[in-house]
Amino acid sequence: MGIIHRIRRSLSVRVSLWVVLFAAGIFVAALSFLFYQSREAIRQEAINRATQILDKTSLRVEGILNRVEVASNMTRWLVEQHTDNPGTMFVLSRDMMLNNPDFYNCSIAFEPYHFPEEGLYFSAYTKHEGDSIRTIQGGSDSYKYFYMDWYLMATLSNKPCWTEPYIDYDAPTGTYEMVTSYCQALKDGDGQIIGVINTSLSLNWLSNTISDAKPYPNSYSIMTGRGGTFFVHPDSTKLTCQSIFTQSLEHPDTAAIALGHAMQRGEEGMKRMDVNGKYCYVFYKPLGKTGCSMAIVCPESDIFSGFNRVRHAVTSIVCAGLLLMLYIFIRVITRELSPLHQLAEEAEHIASGQFDAKLPDFKRIDEIGQLSNSFADMQQSLVRYIEELKDTTAQKASIDRDIRIASAIQMGMLPDKFPTRADRDDVQLYASLTPAKDVGGDLFDFYFRDEKLFFCIGDVSGKGVPASLFMAVTRAVFRTVSVQESMPHNIVMTMNRTMAGMNKIHMFVTLFVGVLDLPTGHLHYCNAGHDAPLLVGDGIGQLPCDTNIPVGFMPSWKYTPQEAQINTGTTIFLFTDGLTEAMNREKAQFEMSRVNEVAARALAEKQQEPRQLIDRMTDAVHQFVGDAEQSDDLTMMAVQYIRPKSDVLMRERISLTNDVSETRRLNAFVEGICARLQLDNIFTARMKVSVEEAVVNVMKYAYPAGQRGEIEIEAAANATRLRFTITDSGKPFDPTIQQQADTTRPARERAIGGLGIHIIRQNMDSMNYERADGRNILTLRKTLPPLTANKVKKLKG
Amino acid sequence: MRLLKPWIFSALMTVGQLLAAQDDTIVFTPQWTAQAQFAGYYVAEAKGFYREAGVKVRIEHPTVTLPAMSRMRTGDCQATTLQLCQAIEMVADGTPLVNILQTSMNNAMVIISARGKNPLKQKGARVGIWSVGFGQLAICMSQRHHLDYQWIHFAQNVNLFVSGVLDATLAMSYNEFYQLRQAGMEISEKNVYRFSDHGYNVQEDGVYMTRDYYLRHRDQALRFAQASRKGWEWAAAHPEEALDIVMRYVNRDRIATNRVLQRLMLKEILRLQLDRETGKREFRLRPDMVKQASRLMKENLLIGREVKYEELTPNLLPLTSYL
Repeated sequence: MGIIHRIRRSLSVRVSLWVVLFAAGIFVAALSFLFYQSREAIRQEAINRATQILDKTSLRVEGILNRVEVASNMTRWLVEQHTDNPGTMFVLSRDMMLNNPDFYNCSIAFEPYHFPEEGLYFSAYTKHEGDSIRTIQGGSDSYKYFYMDWYLMATLSNKPCWTEPYIDYDAPTGTYEMVTSYCQALKDGDGQIIGVINTSLSLNWLSNTISDAKPYPNSYSIMTGRGGTFFVHPDSTKLTCQSIFTQSLEHPDTAAIALGHAMQRGEEGMKRMDVNGKYCYVFYKPLGKTGCSMAIVCPESDIFSGFNRVRHAVTSIVCAGLLLMLYIFIRVITRELSPLHQLAEEAEHIASGQFDAKLPDFKRIDEIGQLSNSFADMQQSLVRYIEELKDTTAQKASIDRDIRIASAIQMGMLPDKFPTRADRDDVQLYASLTPAKDVGGDLFDFYFRDEKLFFCIGDVSGKGVPASLFMAVTRAVFRTVSVQESMPHNIVMTMNRTMAGMNKIHMFVTLFVGVLDLPTGHLHYCNAGHDAPLLVGDGIGQLPCDTNIPVGFMPSWKYTPQEAQINTGTTIFLFTDGLTEAMNREKAQFEMSRVNEVAARALAEKQQEPRQLIDRMTDAVHQFVGDAEQSDDLTMMAVQYIRPKSDVLMRERISLTNDVSETRRLNAFVEGICARLQLDNIFTARMKVSVEEAVVNVMKYAYPAGQRGEIEIEAAANATRLRFTITDSGKPFDPTIQQQADTTRPARERAIGGLGIHIIRQNMDSMNYERADGRNILTLRKTLPPLTANKVKKLKG
Repeated sequence: MRLLKPWIFSALMTVGQLLAAQDDTIVFTPQWTAQAQFAGYYVAEAKGFYREAGVKVRIEHPTVTLPAMSRMRTGDCQATTLQLCQAIEMVADGTPLVNILQTSMNNAMVIISARGKNPLKQKGARVGIWSVGFGQLAICMSQRHHLDYQWIHFAQNVNLFVSGVLDATLAMSYNEFYQLRQAGMEISEKNVYRFSDHGYNVQEDGVYMTRDYYLRHRDQALRFAQASRKGWEWAAAHPEEALDIVMRYVNRDRIATNRVLQRLMLKEILRLQLDRETGKREFRLRPDMVKQASRLMKENLLIGREVKYEELTPNLLPLTSYL
C-alpha cells in the first residue's frame, strides 16, 4: 500500500515507471525475438554436430564391417571347396586371423558328426593369444556351439548376419571383450547347411570411439543392441545388464520406449526428452548392419549453456539498465519538476490567504517557466481580483443592506393593519405579500374614504429593485389619484397617463382597482391586465373582467369601468400570478384549478373569511411547491363584505329647483324628517346645515348660470342610519374631491366652497359621490342614535 | 539333448560321492546362473541359516553349457534344484532322486509368439527351447495338440527370438518373460500361452538329492532343506533385503541382469510358491501333479515308464513331517 500510495502521489515516479515499462516492453519483444532466433540457430548447430559425429562413426563401423564381411565371404568360399577335409579348416581359420590381425577370432564350425571321424563337435577355432595365434578344436560338451546364438542365427536365417554383441571372457588373459560376430552358413554342393563360419570383431574400439564422442561437456553416447541392451553407456553398471526399456518395466516412460523402438527399427533421428530429470536432445543412428544403434545424448543445458550465459547476462544487463534508467528518470524528473513542488507550496500559501507570498523565479523558459510566469500573473490577478472582490463584497453588503432597508420600507408602504369583524361591521380584509427576492414588484393597497373601500392589487413586470421601485411609484400614484377620484376606471386611466409619461424603461404593472361602497355592497372596479379576482360566497366564481392592457404602456388607453353587487358574506379573493404560477421541483404550476379547489374547500368548511382563506391558500401553495425555490412574488388579498341588510323604516322625497330661495323648503323637509325620527335639535341642526350646504353647492355650481335645473332630495332611514341622496342633472361635479377648507386660515384667505364640504364632513359620517346616467348623485350618511323598539314600530307603521 | 551313458554316470557319481563324503559340505547347485529364482538359498547362506542348522552348504552355479543335472550326475554337487519334469525324467532314466524341498507350487512356463500371434495357431513354427532340458511339458503340449513345433534348442538367452529367427519361444514367467519385455517386445495375453492356465499346472522347482546320498546324509539333508525353507520364508517377508542379497550373488558372478529384472523375478517366484487352492506357501510335492506330469511324459514318450510320487519322497514319508 505504501508503494502504491507513493506512486500515486509522485508524478516523477509514475512517469518514470511508464517510460521504463514501455522500454521494458520493447526490450522484451526484441530480446525474445533475438533469443528465439539464436536458440534455433544453436539447436540447428547441435543437430549438425551430432549428425556429423554419428555419420562419421557409422561410416567407420561400416568400413570395418565390410572388411569382415569380405574376408568371411572369401573364407566361406574356400571352406566350401574343401568340405571333406577337416584339417583344411584349421588352416583357413588361422589364415583368416593371420591376414586380419584386428579380428577377434574365427570359427569354422560344422554340424554334429559332419566329420564322423571328429565326433559330435568340430569347430576350427582361431584366436589371438597375446602376440601369437592359437588354433584349436572349439566344440566340446562344455561348449556346444550349435546351441549358440551365432550358429543358430546363421543356420536359421540362412543368410549372413551380425549377432547381438556379447561379452566374451578370455580365460587365458582373464579379460572381457565386447564382441560381435559375423556369421554365415556353410553349404555343401546340394545347398544343405553343413556348418557356420563365424568371424568376430572386438567392439572395444567401437565402444571407445562412441564413448569419446562428446560434442558437449556433459553429453554422452550410448550404443544399444537389437534388444535395446546398452553396450555403450557412461554408467558401466548398465552395460549388457540393462536395456533402454528396463526402467519402463516398473515405471513406463513413453519417451524412452519410443526412442528404444525407433533405435530398434534402425531409424535415424532426433528426440527431445526427459532423461533423469533433465531435458536432453537425443540424436540416434543405426550402426551399419550390426543391428546396433548409437545415440548421442546432449543435455539441453549443455547445448544452450553459452546461449543461456549470454541470455542471462543480457537479461541482467537489461534489468539493471532498466532499474538504473528508472532511478535516473526519477531523479531527473524530480529535479525538473522540483519547481512545481515549490509552486505547489506557494500555491498552498496563497490558498491559505497569503496572497502576497513571493513566488520563486526559476529563470526558465520552458513550460515550467511559463507556468511559473503564468502563476505569477495569476497571483497578481488574484490579488487584484481579491481586492476588487473585497470592494464588490462591501458594495454588495451595502446593497444588501439597502435592499433589506428597501424591503422594509416597501413592506412598510403596504398596509399592515387589516380591519376585521371586530373593527368594522361592513367589511373585513386581509392580505399577504411574499416577495421572491428581498424586494418584490407586487403590491396591494387599500384605504377607506367616505364609506368606500378603495383597494388595489398589482404586479409589476420584472423583479428585484427596479420592480420594487416601480411598485412604490404605482402605490403612491394610486393613493394620490384615488384621493381625487372615486371611479376605478378613472383612477386607472389617470395612473396610466401619469406612469406611462414617466416610464422610460418600459416597465408596466397589471392592476386591479376596486371601490366598494360599504353601505350598499356595490363594487366599482377596473381591471388593467390583472388576473380576474375570485368571488367566494354563494359559490365560487370569477369576477367578470374586461380586457384591458396593463398600466404604463399606452397613456391614451381607455379603461372600461365595471361594477358588481357584492352580497353580504361574499369574499373577493384577489391574487397575483405568483399564486397560479408557483412551481414545484418538477416545474409544474399551481394553476387556477388548484386555487379554485382550495377556495371551494374553504367555502365548504365555512372558512372563507379573508385571513382563513389566505392562510389556507398559502399552506396549499407551500405544500405544492415543497422545497423548490420561490420563482415569483406571491401576493393575495381577500375582501369580505359583511354588512347585514337593514329594513328601510321611512323614505321621503322632495324636488327643488336650483333657486337658493328653495332652501326654506329644504330645511322644512329636513326638519320634518328629523322630527319623525325624534332627533334632538342639535342633531337636526347638523343635518339641516349639512344638507343645505350640499344642495346649495349643487344649486350654485351644477348648472350654468341662468339655467333652471331640478334637484331631488331623498331621505331614507333604517334602524341605524339616516341617508340623504341629492340628485341633479347638472354637469359632473364631485364635491368629495374638492379641496377642503383650511380652517386654520382666516376666512377671507380660504377658497370659495371648501368650507361647505368641510362642514358636511364634520357633521356627517360619510359623503359619497357617484355619476350615473348623466346625473350627479351625492349621498350623505349619518348614524342615528339608537332607536327604541317602540319608535321603530311607529316609523314602520 | 544327449545324455551320458548310465555306466559312465555311475562311475562319475561314485567318485563325486567319495569326494563329498570326505567333506560333509553339501554342494548345492541351482539349475541356472545366479538370479532371484534362488533367493531363498542365498538368504539362507547369507543370513547364516545353514550354519545355524549345523549344515555346511556351498552354492555353486552351473555354467551355461553344463547344467545342474550334469553336475549332480558327475558328483560335482550333492543337491540341486530341478523342475519336477526333469526329476521325473532322471528317475525314469534310472537315477533315483529324493525331493527334499519343493518350493514351486505352480508352473511358470509360457510360450510367447512373435508379432502378436496366438501360439496355438502357429503349427510347425520354430519355437525356442532351452538346451539344458526344461520344456518337457511344452513338448507334450505340442504333440497333444498336433502343433508339430520345430524345437530350436538355444543355450543362451532371448536374443534369437528378438533377432527374429524364431516364431515363438518358451519362456519362464519370472525370467525370459521379463527379459523379452526388457528387449522392447510388446507382450499381451493374445500372444502368450500360459501352461498353468491350460491344464499343465505342474510344479517346477524343487531341491533334489540322489537317493543314495540322501540315505547316507538324511539328517544333513533335512537340516539343509529346513534351513532353505527358512531362507525362502524370510525372503518372502523381506523381499527388498532378499533382493539386496540376490544382487550380491549376481554381481559376484557378473551376471548380465539388473535389479529391476530381479525384483520382478523374485515377486513372480514368490507368487508361484503359493498353492492355488490353499493360497499358502506349502513347500510340498503334490502327488496329483507328480502323477499328471509323469503320465503326460509317458504318453508322449519322453520317459519309458511312469514315475510314482513315492519314488521322489524319502521313505514314503512326506517331507513336511520332518520340518
